[in-house]
Formats: sequence, structure tokens, C-alpha cells
Amino acid sequence: MDEKTSLRYELISAWCGPAFFITFIIFWVIIGHNLPNPSPALSAVDLAARYIENLGQIRLGFIISLITVVFYMPWTCVLTVQMWRIEGKAPVLSLLQLLGGALTVMVVSFSAMFWVVAAFRPERDPAITQMLTDTGWLCIDLQYACTTLQMVAAALVGLADKRAVPLFPRWVCYLTIWCGISFFPASLTGVLKTGPFAWNGALSYYIPYFCWLCWYTTASVYMIKDVRRRMSGASVPATSRGFVPGMSV
Amino acid sequence: MNAITAVPDQAAPIAQRLPGDRDVWIFICAELLMFGAFFIAYIVNRASELAVFNDSQRTLDRTCGVINTLILISSSWAVVQALAAARSRRPQLISTYLGVAIALGVAFMLVKVFEYTAKFEAGLSMLTNTFYMFYFCLTMIHLMHVVAGTVILTVMWNKARAGGYDSGPLQGLETGASYWHMVDLLWIFLFALLYLLR
Repeated sequence: MDEKTSLRYELISAWCGPAFFITFIIFWVIIGHNLPNPSPALSAVDLAARYIENLGQIRLGFIISLITVVFYMPWTCVLTVQMWRIEGKAPVLSLLQLLGGALTVMVVSFSAMFWVVAAFRPERDPAITQMLTDTGWLCIDLQYACTTLQMVAAALVGLADKRAVPLFPRWVCYLTIWCGISFFPASLTGVLKTGPFAWNGALSYYIPYFCWLCWYTTASVYMIKDVRRRMSGASVPATSRGFVPGMSV
Repeated sequence: MNAITAVPDQAAPIAQRLPGDRDVWIFICAELLMFGAFFIAYIVNRASELAVFNDSQRTLDRTCGVINTLILISSSWAVVQALAAARSRRPQLISTYLGVAIALGVAFMLVKVFEYTAKFEAGLSMLTNTFYMFYFCLTMIHLMHVVAGTVILTVMWNKARAGGYDSGPLQGLETGASYWHMVDLLWIFLFALLYLLR
């Protein structure tokens, strides 16, 4: 593949970031009725009633989410390649980031799939609907460590990037680590049904999810910039890898 | 040899610049904001269940809280001394003071484990009531920060013993010290909110 085409695919993959963000907000958050999301303290009957009242939207929201979640994959791949260029011969962290991104897609997918199954037969015993909803929420809220690893790996490589114009500014790297750590209170969702640490609470839902999307959007901006920089440099006889030799601090 | 490198460091206006890596302060500020959110959540919930919070607070072991506060303040002092030793190029003292800070960090964890065990034996858990939910969640999240901070101190202690701070920049040491002071500061707020606020 010639370089121009290759760069074009990189750019498209990087733009999958904003595409994921927008579709996630529209389908998972808004249409899927996750703002606010169902309280874990809801009784089985009330929860089942919530599905029946919003059946069409919940089905649409999560079924489309299950498709659009894959925008995260090309985005993860382009990040992997960008990190790999920095890391060089033994791209341990780049590959870790790749695994983390791939598994994040599966974690988000499976939780949405449990909710689609819950909405599939709304007339069934509400206790089963409740169990499927629980499974979905605990699936996404307790398995964040894959995403945390993805983020920490990206941040560590970003901090080691000594080029004149690095992939990520250093403050973005530290913000990334912090955003990854901000997920930890979500582990409490495995025990608590009320309060700010329950899966509908500020400290286990709103703040961590906001941090995740905040990192994702910020990283996307710098990744697109990086590809654009190399696209504009590709016409002049610079190295396609974008290295500035001899730059070290 | 060391005196030559030490001169510009001592002459630098230390008080006028941010200690450590400037960008790490983004991380520290974000941590403070996060705990700020925890504290606001605590205050808001406390206001709606004042009696439960006040009654439950009486069952906390204030002695343990005071001991842990003293432990963390002392360890912060030890870290300050380690940094002062590094700035005045007394390499032997850096690892000694860092060792003291690490020992105090471990002591904090032990007191916390003792305190948690006593609570669990008394049948109290994070499901007991809203106060205990906050007590366990906030102190456990803080404890994770203490563990992380102790690991950072240990890494610095290792580097100090290998002579890593005998000459050259001290940014790494300052960064780690800033993080440890933050952990200390957060505990002081937590102690006041959980153990003292009536």
C-alpha cells in the first residue's frame, strides 16, 4: 500500500474516535435511557415496568450501540501504531494498549447485550429481567481494569515520547493516568445498591464515565493532529515515521 | 565534585517554582478534585441523615484516627527532611529519611487494618448504614493512595541507596514528595470529616 493511502486509513481510523464518542452518547446514553440509568435499588417489578415503558428506545439504543461500539477498534489500532513508532523494537505497551482497547469493546458489548436480552421478552418473570440488568451493569462497572491498563499504557508511552512534537503533551498523559484511576470507585458497585458509589451514583457512574470519555476525546484530538502532521510532512522528503533524531531530554 | 553541581541548585529560587514535574500537578489537582467530589457527597448525605451520621461517628475509634494523623504528618516531615538532605547533598540521609517515611506509611496501613478488623468483628460493614458506607469507601480509596505512595517512596528509596540523587536534578524526588504530601493532606480532611465533624 502506498503511503498516501496508508495515511488516509490512519486518518479515518483516528476519526473513528469522535464517531464512537458521538454514537455512544446518542445511542447508549440518551436513547438507551442511561441518563439517568436505572437504580440498582429498583424492585424487580419497577425495573421490568421501566423496560416495558421504554421498550422501543431501549432496544434501538443498545442494538445500535452494539454495532457502533466497534468504532473503538480502528481507533485503538491507530493508537497502537502511533505508540509503536515511539516504542520501537519491543512494543510491549503498545500491544498492551491494543489488548486493553479490544477487551474494552467486549466489556461494553457484553453489558449492552445483557440489556438487549432483558428487553427481548419484557413479559417474562421480572426477577430474570432484574438479573440480566444486574449482570449488564456489573459487567461494565467491574471490568474497567482492561480500559485502565489501555490508558496507563498509552500514557507511559506518551511520557517517554521525546520527539520535538510529541504524540500527547505531558499533561494529557498525566490526565490519562488519573482518568484511568478514577474508575476504581466503580468496584464498589459490586456491593452497594444506594448512594454515590452505587452504579447510578455520581462517584461510580457519572464521574468515571465522564473521565473515560474526556480522555477518549482529548486523545482523539491529538491522534488526529499527529496523523495530519505526518500527512502534511509526507509530501516533503521527511521520514514517514516522523522522528526528529537526536531529540532527547 | 558534588559541590560544583550543588551550587546552582541551592541558588535556584526554590520557593518561586512548582516543585517536581509541572505536569504532574495536573494529576495532583485532578486527585484533589476527585476527593473534593467525595467530600461534597459526604456533606450532602450527612445533611439528610444527621442523626445516623452523628450516632455512627461515636462508634469510630478516634484514637486510631489521631494516631494515623500523627503518623502521616510525621512521614510527610520525614519526606521533607529527605528532600532537604538531597538539596544540601547529604546522600546518606536521603535514604534514611525515606526509610522512616516508608515505615510510617506501613504503620498507617497496619493501624487501618486493625481498625477495619475491629469494625468487622463488631458486625459493622459498608452496608450497615450511609455513614459506614462513606467511612469504608473513602478510607479504603485513601488507603489505596497510601499503598501507591509507599510504593513510590520505596522506588525513590532504592534509587537513593544506589546514589541516584547524589548529583543531578531532583525533580523525581520532588514529584514523589508532592504526591506523598497530597496523600497526607487528603487524610487530614478525611479525619476531620469522618471522625470529628459534629
